[in-house]
Amino acid sequence: MTELLPQEQIDSFKARAAAIAHPHELIVDLLRAIQAHYGWVPDDGVLLTAATLGVLPIEVEEVATFYDKIFRRTVGRRVIHVCDSICCWSIGAEMILAHLQQSLGIGLGETTADGAFTLLPTCCLGACGDAPAMMIGLTTHGRLTPEKIDETLQRERAAIAAEVAK
Amino acid sequence: MPKLTIDNLEVTVPEGTNVLEAACALDIAIPHFCYHEALGAVGSCRLCAMMFTDGPVKGLQMACMVKAQDGMVVSSTHPDAMELREHVIEWAMTNHPHDCPVCDEGGECQLQEMTVAGGHSKRRFRGKKATFTNQDLGPFIQQEMNRCITCYRCVRTYRDYCGGTDYGVLGSRNRIFYGRFQEGKLESPFSGNIIDACPTGVLTSKPFRFKTRLWDLQEAPSICPHCSLGCAIVPGGRYREVQRVRAGINRETNGFFICDRGRFGYDHVNHPERPRQPRIGGQPVALETALDAVRDRIAVLVEAHGPNSIAFLGSSRASLEANALLRDWASAYGSEQLAYEAHQGRDYAARTLAARVGGHACSLGDLRQSDLIILFGADPLAEGPMLAVAIRQAVRGGAKVVTIDPRPVELPCTTLHIPLPASRLPELLAALGSGDLSAFDAQERATFAPLLDQIKAARRPAMVGGADLLGGQGIAALCSAAADLSTASRAVGVMALLGGPNSYGGALLAGDGPGFDTLLDAIQERTVRALVCLESDPFCEALDPARAQAALGHLELLVCIDSTPSLAAQRADIFLPSRANAEMSGSYINNEGRLQEFLPVIDPGLPIKVTGAGDHPPREFFQTTPGSAPAADWWLLAKLLERATILAELRKTMAKYDERFSMLSFLAAGTTGLRLPVKVALPPVADRGLPHADGSDNQTLLATTGPLGSHWLAHLSAPLAATEPQPYVCLHPDFAAALGLASGDRARLTTRFGHCHVEVRLSAQMVSGLVLAPQLWDTALEGLAPGSLHDCRLEKEARA
Amino acid sequence: MNAYPQILFKNRRPGETVLLAEYEKSGGYQGLRAALQMTPREVCELVKGSGLRGRGGAGFPTGIKWSFFPAEQPGDKYLVCNGDEMEPGTYKDRQLLLADPHQLVEGMAIAAYALQTGIGYIFLRYAYEDCSQRVERAIEEALAAGYLGKNILGSGFDVELHVHRSAGRYILGEETSLLNGLEGRRPNPRSKPPFPAQRGLFGRPTNVNNVETLATVPHILTNGQLWFHELALNPESAGTKLFGLSGHLNRTECFELPLGITLREVVEDFGGGVRGGKKFKACLPGGASTPYLTAEHMDLMMDFAPLEEVKSRLGTAGVTVFDENTCMLAVTRNLNQFFARESCGWCTPCRDGLATISWLLDRLEFGQGTEADLAMLKDQVRNIKGRSFCALAEGAMGPVEALLRLFEDEIIDHIKRGGCPFSKRSG
Repeated sequence: MTELLPQEQIDSFKARAAAIAHPHELIVDLLRAIQAHYGWVPDDGVLLTAATLGVLPIEVEEVATFYDKIFRRTVGRRVIHVCDSICCWSIGAEMILAHLQQSLGIGLGETTADGAFTLLPTCCLGACGDAPAMMIGLTTHGRLTPEKIDETLQRERAAIAAEVAK
Repeated sequence: MPKLTIDNLEVTVPEGTNVLEAACALDIAIPHFCYHEALGAVGSCRLCAMMFTDGPVKGLQMACMVKAQDGMVVSSTHPDAMELREHVIEWAMTNHPHDCPVCDEGGECQLQEMTVAGGHSKRRFRGKKATFTNQDLGPFIQQEMNRCITCYRCVRTYRDYCGGTDYGVLGSRNRIFYGRFQEGKLESPFSGNIIDACPTGVLTSKPFRFKTRLWDLQEAPSICPHCSLGCAIVPGGRYREVQRVRAGINRETNGFFICDRGRFGYDHVNHPERPRQPRIGGQPVALETALDAVRDRIAVLVEAHGPNSIAFLGSSRASLEANALLRDWASAYGSEQLAYEAHQGRDYAARTLAARVGGHACSLGDLRQSDLIILFGADPLAEGPMLAVAIRQAVRGGAKVVTIDPRPVELPCTTLHIPLPASRLPELLAALGSGDLSAFDAQERATFAPLLDQIKAARRPAMVGGADLLGGQGIAALCSAAADLSTASRAVGVMALLGGPNSYGGALLAGDGPGFDTLLDAIQERTVRALVCLESDPFCEALDPARAQAALGHLELLVCIDSTPSLAAQRADIFLPSRANAEMSGSYINNEGRLQEFLPVIDPGLPIKVTGAGDHPPREFFQTTPGSAPAADWWLLAKLLERATILAELRKTMAKYDERFSMLSFLAAGTTGLRLPVKVALPPVADRGLPHADGSDNQTLLATTGPLGSHWLAHLSAPLAATEPQPYVCLHPDFAAALGLASGDRARLTTRFGHCHVEVRLSAQMVSGLVLAPQLWDTALEGLAPGSLHDCRLEKEARA
Repeated sequence: MNAYPQILFKNRRPGETVLLAEYEKSGGYQGLRAALQMTPREVCELVKGSGLRGRGGAGFPTGIKWSFFPAEQPGDKYLVCNGDEMEPGTYKDRQLLLADPHQLVEGMAIAAYALQTGIGYIFLRYAYEDCSQRVERAIEEALAAGYLGKNILGSGFDVELHVHRSAGRYILGEETSLLNGLEGRRPNPRSKPPFPAQRGLFGRPTNVNNVETLATVPHILTNGQLWFHELALNPESAGTKLFGLSGHLNRTECFELPLGITLREVVEDFGGGVRGGKKFKACLPGGASTPYLTAEHMDLMMDFAPLEEVKSRLGTAGVTVFDENTCMLAVTRNLNQFFARESCGWCTPCRDGLATISWLLDRLEFGQGTEADLAMLKDQVRNIKGRSFCALAEGAMGPVEALLRLFEDEIIDHIKRGGCPFSKRSG
């Protein structure tokens, strides 16, 4: 994960930006692409977005800092978003969060020492029927129990270990 | 025109006026933050609530978001409106620190005023306040984000209005941060406007920091001395120094904003080397002694060699009154050797403009309404920065902008740039005027023919020329083209960027008199033996400084009146110190023929920080204020003419004997000024064109005005001097490649003024085959009078 | 449980997504075929006459919105689907898109034809990557089958659809914020007028509709206005509605139910009653911004007008139920935290007012509150409601106002006890 984005993706964004009247509309797409590839969006990612789309760095930063799912600080390999909105809260989200904090040994906004997980609160995930819920990466996990969380974390740890080995 | 009732008062306002503005028209003060006359209404602060009790709109509304309509009945004092305003202030204050006693905004804090006006007096919120880490925004702006109430005014001023590109809104909810992507100097040449725009102490002037509590600051309406646009400013002074400048309001000229040169260029007044003592032969003397010496020595010369042995050089930075007295003085002797600008191109440009366009030149206010603006050899950021902001407003309203120039012309908006050598600009203007483009080749015709169509189709077109590159002939061509392209239904506006704040005034006085070059010839021939310089420096300002210096060496007597440590002041046989415009009353006529008055802010004197040597109060005591000898330029001339030294009397006399100045007695500072009915004869045809390179094997250099910090008064101002660029040249990439130079290379530039190490910059907007270099004081580039052409040699240097 | 007609969910099977072949077999794209036989204006009129009201929360009549649209104006015009489903308690659009996404694609093709907008954007929230992928697949299938692209079904009309994946933030559900978001600007709401129909995306006429609204359109085209009217139990209303159940219910699922169904039937039959045999205390009838209903409202029809009569709203019909042990002050505190955090920061009442309310609710919930705080809470609500730039803060005041109206005694109880009376009992 040393490069922000593979060159062919940068070229593709450049070509798309050149073909449309309003290249700004690709800012969120490109930031998300960098995040998907690099894990988060460092300052250079903002500059790369600006240069690729031919827009101002400040215009990119204004957008990047608005959205809560664009990470402008370094995060772990997996970002865990725990829902704290009403439906999840009403059936035990606080307990779920406490369990996650205990299992991971970190508080909200923190990253585990091994760089594996970052724990963040999020508003409603649209999984209200399956509350309490969390999202790891882009995958929603619902009807959480401490056991289910432990299982999920174990699976993610194994997946991370496999990624690192590669 | 809708008629509505606000607080039981009827008012009729123009279509499109919002209710907040309608209330203002009735002098009903409605607290507001986000609404600003120039920035418009966005409805974000929710402070200007008014109750609409009857008519087409009902209920509590934000007055700024509702257009006035017939039959509206509105109350500003309805309890619901008052309650909301109180709450909005309460919310705005939730995160605001109570640091007013140490805040630089204290005394002119709009938040303080609105807090009182809104009725919020007791803090109920006792939760945690949002706090932020500040950014270093460079030498001009101090940021203190904890004070921010998130009114969005700064970013709307900086980005939307002035076209800056490096400042924005970051974050969201109650964690909004205004700043740059990364810490660093704000790059816009209009950055200082956010100081004025910020309603509280988030953005304050860094050079002014901790200098004076605002209630101790002396202020007065004034006119910016830095260029010919005549922007309204309000300088502030204390402790015998001018400490800051804020924008004044003149809807016809600058509107509500000014450029950073005007804002941070006040410090020439306090310059440590400013000559403050009358001197004869370099020795300090009493003022009366110096005045007597001037009279006596001139009398001797007149006696021996006739009145035309005395020459007079006025200037574009001296007051109109002083320049008029200089003319009276010359005629008192019977001398015809009188000129008003050492730079002949600027001189003839101003006189041609005054003669041809008179009081019909475009104002910045007119320009903001234009739908097509074409700039011929005009570089607003260098020659009249607020023009760039005015053009931007036109573009925001849908205008198209074309720049035709040998130089790259940067503007804070989208433009079409057409590179063309300066020498061909008059030719193009003539062709556009006649509609006959046959003098141009096919490719050029393909560029200019559509331009001609655009001008013809435009409803409010304007043509702008720069004095430096166009000179008198070019401005004449500009005026002719505009006249030819005007129709019965719509005129083509004309504006020219002139040399200084009073170039136009000098032009009126000069009329068809000689140019400074003619005076130089006479000095060279020794028919002129004495020269009186009124706030001008022919050693540096003449188009050909080498020739000027050689000629001026022959003078038997050089008298200089100045407020700056100019070369002329240093070399003068008799020197009389004058006041800076912040220290006196007077008037200027700007580049559109608008007469405007400025008032004194402080009396001259060595700043207390100098006399106190850092200690306060000073430990030495004198009968008089140290350094207080400088007198108003008109005062000195009135003395020399042995007239009453009362400005009102002098103006009355001017008005009486010159009908063009009949409005002088109606002049009032802080107003939009007066457009003069102008009658002036055309200047004689220039006896010499702009100096051209001799066409040797070497390169040709075009000298130009540098960016913000490179003007004389700006150069003398410490806050701006820090931002002056290192010497550089600008080349077209193809030309650079032919010379073996690349962007960022170091090169050695040789001109007849000497060597200079320069940085190579490239711009595809340049005319190829030309070396562009700015005039920069205290470097080997200081002799490069803007608009002049020189032979030069440009050689690549090995990198250190 | 009554077996009500299933329209949007007729093909729904757990864990599966309907592909084109199955969708076509179930009558899919017949609505589009029918629409293309009509003039665009006739399609608008049909939708207008159907009584379809927007399913995104505000309930504005869809056909009337369409009839304001300058379909004849030349130049670019846009159709935007609002899939930024982020109001807590709302998850119906996700269920719809996961189950049967072609309904949206067909609905957008019809709307595009009716409004003569050649370009459509489907704006989906960050958390709905699962939906994004399914919608993209449906678009690909529809393109290949000629339902999208150039000259759809030989009609001479072109439609292209794009999926935009957002990056979080509730405010983008506000249509003008969404447009700013699509443009890549800061997603602050825009002032209206001009409305999106006049100046929307990239300054061009734009129509914005919710996912469920657009997905309903094909069925109206296929089956007609009368059929649609008769789907509702409330004779004043029309159609079915997706109800997402959550909170303290035995069955927290999404159901397609007729408008006009009683709250009792929703809670007791479909929700299986309150968990653990507890009593029903209150519910949010349609998402986090809708004022609470209580036990006295159990026989009320779940529909737009009847809920407005009791000072609430149908909203998104995301019904979140709270049992008798729930502290409604704590519920309101949680809801307000959501709104305060999701404020875009544009206007003062929302940005700083909601934060002030959060502070007050914290104090009251945790026992530091006083009568003065309660009074302050009331004056805050009075001055935020109807005073903010967009509907976000307005919506935030829904539950706070309902708390003060219905549960003020509980607040006073907190003040008197110096703490939460439910803290021991709450699950």
